[in-house]
Amino acid sequence: MSDIFPKWTNKLPVRLLTGAFVVGTALTAGVWYYFTPKYTRVGYQPIQPVSFSHAVHVGQVGLDCRYCHSAVEKSWYSNIPTAGTCMNCHNQLLPTDTRLALVRESAQTGKTIPWVQIHKTPDYVYFNHSVHVNRGVSCVECHGQINQMDEVYHAKSFSMSFCLECHRNPAERLRPADKITDLNWKWDDDPKVAAQMQKVNGEKFMHDWKVESLQTCSACHR
Amino acid sequence: MKTIPPACPEPDTGHKYWRSLDQLSDTPEFRQWAEREFPSGASELNDPVTRRDFVKIMSASFLLAGVGLTACRKPEEHIYPFSKMPEGYVHGVPQYYATSMPTRGTAIPLLAKSNDGRPTKVEGNTNHPDSNGGTDRFAQASVLNLYDPDRASRFTRAGSPAKQEDALEFLAQLSKKFQGNSGDGLCFLLERSSSVSRARLQKLISEKYSKAKWFIYEPVDLEIQRQAASRTFGKSVSPYYRLDEAEVVVALDCDFIGSEQDSYINIRRFAKARKLTNPSDTPNRLYAVEGLMTLTGVNADHRLRVPTSALAAVAARLGSKILEPSGSNDLVAALQPLAEPAKAHEKWIAECAKDLLAHKGKSLVLAGHRQPLAVHAIVNALNNALGNVGKTVVYREVPASSEGSISELAQLLNGNQVDTLVIFGGNPAYDAPADLDWGKAQKKAKTTVRLGYYEDETAALSDWHLPLAHYLESWGDARTGDGTLVSVQPLIEPLFGGVTEIEILARIGGLEKTSPYEIVRESFRGIAGESDEPWKKFLHDGFLANSAAQTVAVEFNSAAALVEIASLKPTAVATKESLEVVFHRDYSMDDGRFNNNGWLQELPDPVTKMVWENAMLMSIQTVKDLGLNVVDHEDGKLLVPWVKLQLGGRELEGPVWIQPGQADNTVGLALGYGRKQTGRIGRGSGYDAYRLRTAANPYFAVGAKLIPSGNTYEIACTQNHWSMEGRPIIREANLEQYRKKPDFVKGMDAPPSPSEEPMYPNPFDKVKGSALHQWGMAIDLNACVGCSACMVACQSENNIPIVGKNQVAKGRELHWIRIDRYYSGKPNDPQVVNQPMLCQHCEAAPCESVCPVNATVHDNEGLNVMVYNRCVGTRYCSNNCPYKVRRFNYFDYNKRPLDKLYYGPFAKRPDDELDIIKLVKNPDVTVRMRGVMEKCTFCVQRIEQAKISQKVKAGASGDVQVPTDSFTTACAQACPAGAIIFGNIADPKSAVSEWKKRDRNYTVLDFLATKPRLTYLARVRNPNPAMPDEYTNMPGSFSEYAEKSGNPLEGHGSAHGAGEGHPHGEAEKGAH
Repeated sequence: MSDIFPKWTNKLPVRLLTGAFVVGTALTAGVWYYFTPKYTRVGYQPIQPVSFSHAVHVGQVGLDCRYCHSAVEKSWYSNIPTAGTCMNCHNQLLPTDTRLALVRESAQTGKTIPWVQIHKTPDYVYFNHSVHVNRGVSCVECHGQINQMDEVYHAKSFSMSFCLECHRNPAERLRPADKITDLNWKWDDDPKVAAQMQKVNGEKFMHDWKVESLQTCSACHR
Repeated sequence: MKTIPPACPEPDTGHKYWRSLDQLSDTPEFRQWAEREFPSGASELNDPVTRRDFVKIMSASFLLAGVGLTACRKPEEHIYPFSKMPEGYVHGVPQYYATSMPTRGTAIPLLAKSNDGRPTKVEGNTNHPDSNGGTDRFAQASVLNLYDPDRASRFTRAGSPAKQEDALEFLAQLSKKFQGNSGDGLCFLLERSSSVSRARLQKLISEKYSKAKWFIYEPVDLEIQRQAASRTFGKSVSPYYRLDEAEVVVALDCDFIGSEQDSYINIRRFAKARKLTNPSDTPNRLYAVEGLMTLTGVNADHRLRVPTSALAAVAARLGSKILEPSGSNDLVAALQPLAEPAKAHEKWIAECAKDLLAHKGKSLVLAGHRQPLAVHAIVNALNNALGNVGKTVVYREVPASSEGSISELAQLLNGNQVDTLVIFGGNPAYDAPADLDWGKAQKKAKTTVRLGYYEDETAALSDWHLPLAHYLESWGDARTGDGTLVSVQPLIEPLFGGVTEIEILARIGGLEKTSPYEIVRESFRGIAGESDEPWKKFLHDGFLANSAAQTVAVEFNSAAALVEIASLKPTAVATKESLEVVFHRDYSMDDGRFNNNGWLQELPDPVTKMVWENAMLMSIQTVKDLGLNVVDHEDGKLLVPWVKLQLGGRELEGPVWIQPGQADNTVGLALGYGRKQTGRIGRGSGYDAYRLRTAANPYFAVGAKLIPSGNTYEIACTQNHWSMEGRPIIREANLEQYRKKPDFVKGMDAPPSPSEEPMYPNPFDKVKGSALHQWGMAIDLNACVGCSACMVACQSENNIPIVGKNQVAKGRELHWIRIDRYYSGKPNDPQVVNQPMLCQHCEAAPCESVCPVNATVHDNEGLNVMVYNRCVGTRYCSNNCPYKVRRFNYFDYNKRPLDKLYYGPFAKRPDDELDIIKLVKNPDVTVRMRGVMEKCTFCVQRIEQAKISQKVKAGASGDVQVPTDSFTTACAQACPAGAIIFGNIADPKSAVSEWKKRDRNYTVLDFLATKPRLTYLARVRNPNPAMPDEYTNMPGSFSEYAEKSGNPLEGHGSAHGAGEGHPHGEAEKGAH
């Protein structure tokens, strides 16, 4: 028999099984992670060229989101502030701090700062910031608690099911128009009361503002 | 459950109708072609690269992709903010600037859209006093010229690149040199322009260089109406036609809808007088006399076919008939001998004259630019005698022009009297009259400086070539047709350092101010004063209010008219041995200036529906007489004879195309093709008709001889099937029929069974009643003239790529809106109807049910939407679409090299092309890739934008309904006729709701119960019952229908039983 099957074939079934197990596990794990909507850069936290801390500026100083992201109410795009915006304060405050060297250089020379993009929707998604923030959807719904982040990271999955979760039931997320940029705001400290108030008021907003539950393709894709 | 479509068998008796060139032979190939889902070749891969090669290469690339293991993680992308924000700029929000596009002698007022600094779309400026927001094909396509990778992008000296500074230094030296000798030997060759600044600089330079000479050349000169008016009325005036005031219009070889000056204004005014709200309104009546089949002829109620050279006789005959009663005896005496050859058309002309005389002061006679001054003098006499002057045609004073002609310049050149020739724009080396031998003449100037948009034929002969800036990159000014001053302002810095005409003029003239902005500002100061406020308003509005030229009273000088009439040279009669040749402005290429514009190359000619080239147009009779084999189908290809045409010792070769309705023994040659030196798009398209054109006979000549070569040539044409087969796709009636039965359109198709649900019910039917917005469209076929501006507007708005001639020949064109053109009646004298056809947005959409992947679905506002990411390209939807409006991306046309759009599946667009062409794309519309279906979306991006801005405005309130008629689709916005209305049908106040309530409103193929959101308003013709032609009883297409399915006007109407497929021809024949 040894003529037909060389010696190494003895170990073949074990090897095959091990191999199949390893590959199978990798595949399952891969599919588990990559093929689900959860995997959409959640946790992505690149190093930014300037160590800007939202936690300090928003959480401690109390700047409004719109001071820097001034286009968010007008455009589909929420802009990154110009160096000039930073210098409004920083020509007085920490004017020589080394962490701000790049900003000062940009303001003086016009050289742009290469911020790393974190939040991104695919090209075929025509997401519009202005219509969300003007109609009761807070920044926090998609971006998480940016006001507590030292270095911004991708807090939520930007998968289609994430968008649809809210689009199917906007009442659960709508909040008063003046609380959009208050990322810590809650209806009540007691979660049960808050949930109850969200339900009542959310439905009221839906009705009063004629908020539609947009689930057809043309809402986001063109 | 389902309704069987009405069969349309050929009636045994009565008229035989003709469908296309093939009808003449009715070949089995044609039968097969007509029955196919896609035209032959469209759905097969039979390119040089075979399927086998494809798979081989693809497997290799898959392997490489696997080995590389690239794209495990999304790449790191950066955001680069401004360091200092430009004032008033919000990233992502488009900005609009009022500007205008200068055309020859006038301008089109525009509102240009800029997306983050790049102009992407132009619309008409609705605030301008003489605009309704409509534009023309050329304005819509002009954006693409801005991003043409083949445009002149460098300064050259003797063909090799030079520095801009050197070129400007050279101009400064020129200026010094001519200041010394007061411009001796300096010649300028210009194009026609209405720029106030140019005229001012011209004057300044003439004062400085008194010996400098000025010449103007336009290969297609639309100034003859002005010249004729100035001569016959004794002062320098320009006519302005108030077509909307005219109840009867007679166009004598005048294609005022398609190729005359400011045709977009003419269309608007004509359509205004053509529209009907209810049966008591009377639309205008259009008589056309012409040799070629033009857009004006297409829209005429009565059309007389005469060779272009014989038109003077018709004009004279019409003239003597009208002038006789008014007693202008010497004019009548002069006209009568001229009128003799038109005796054959006596009845037609007499009735037409009667109609004109019955509409004194409410009629208009027009002559076209191809006709000599004498015909224009007759026309002016007629309008004067009919009391139309001051009513339907007004005259405005314009500065007289004193420039010489190109023939005079050629003489100077040949006499070696030119030291420096400066050519602004134009392209004389290509389009100057052939007998001038311009190539040699230009070389005789010591130095030639050329400012041009392309490095073309003329550039090759010039010593210096300077790149011209696009109008969206330039400062300038112009006057529109009514004389209103409009601004030309830049939206972008010149992409390739281009310079403007006024800057170069100022530099050569050695003037103090050379910046174009300063020059224009200075000119404006001269008109509106020193203050800055009017200037700011001028730039903001795009025009200076109340600056239109005043109309002046004019007095007809019959002695001057007599002189012109006496100067008319008799022309020989065209026969098949001695053919008449007519040179005409092309509907897409103009005179050749748009030759390298892909959108226009691929725009089907509004009449022939041919793309990417020109052919020698002839009538069916002429083709038969000359013994040419009409057309041949081979392997799905459309093959036509290739011939040689000789005229006056010159010759050219080209394909022959049959044009129904063209005069016999006439050959129509479109200008603008066959360029020797052009970009990647224009290369190799068509033949060059200028080679037969002489200075003496620029527009028509008799005496050509045609020699068949026996070869054939493949033509790409988007509509070779000409008949509606008696089906009520376009519904039309004569005015009397319409008055008798205003809802004649109802029940022309087999009625859908009322008890049954539609075959494809709409999932959103339930929300329809309560929804805020339900989008719908209506198209008034009475207003649509078929000009095709909508097609280019759609292409520009929706990022529709061009596919190339080869692909169009296979039926793979991608236009989301097309204009279907049908003929009816006699092949030699057909009636024509046009119908814009686009996605009908059926509520019960057949395409949706058959998609296996849900890639085409409905939305809650009634749109039939395409989800490109889901589409896997089965094309079932297109198969099931009864309107054939779905388009499939057979290849990645956006990634193909411009000159190899069909070079097999792996051709890749070079970076230099891609980088600049992608700038023209609309960022709000997905650029589709290979393998997906696409179609009209009702401009969903505009709908969403309108809703979003209303919601943003509403904020925390319920005011979210988009204001009535506050936006529209690209096609509707571009339409100069106002034939397309789009809006919210859930809003009873909207214009579209109002249109849909009209009695002429109908649905195409309504027996299918697809419930389209797009409906049409039937066409109503207004023929003169006294005329001796066929169409006074009923329109051709209508009698074709009536013969097959019964006449709905005569009681059999609604239940005529088209569904039974039973021809009623026998029964109704007696009625008509």
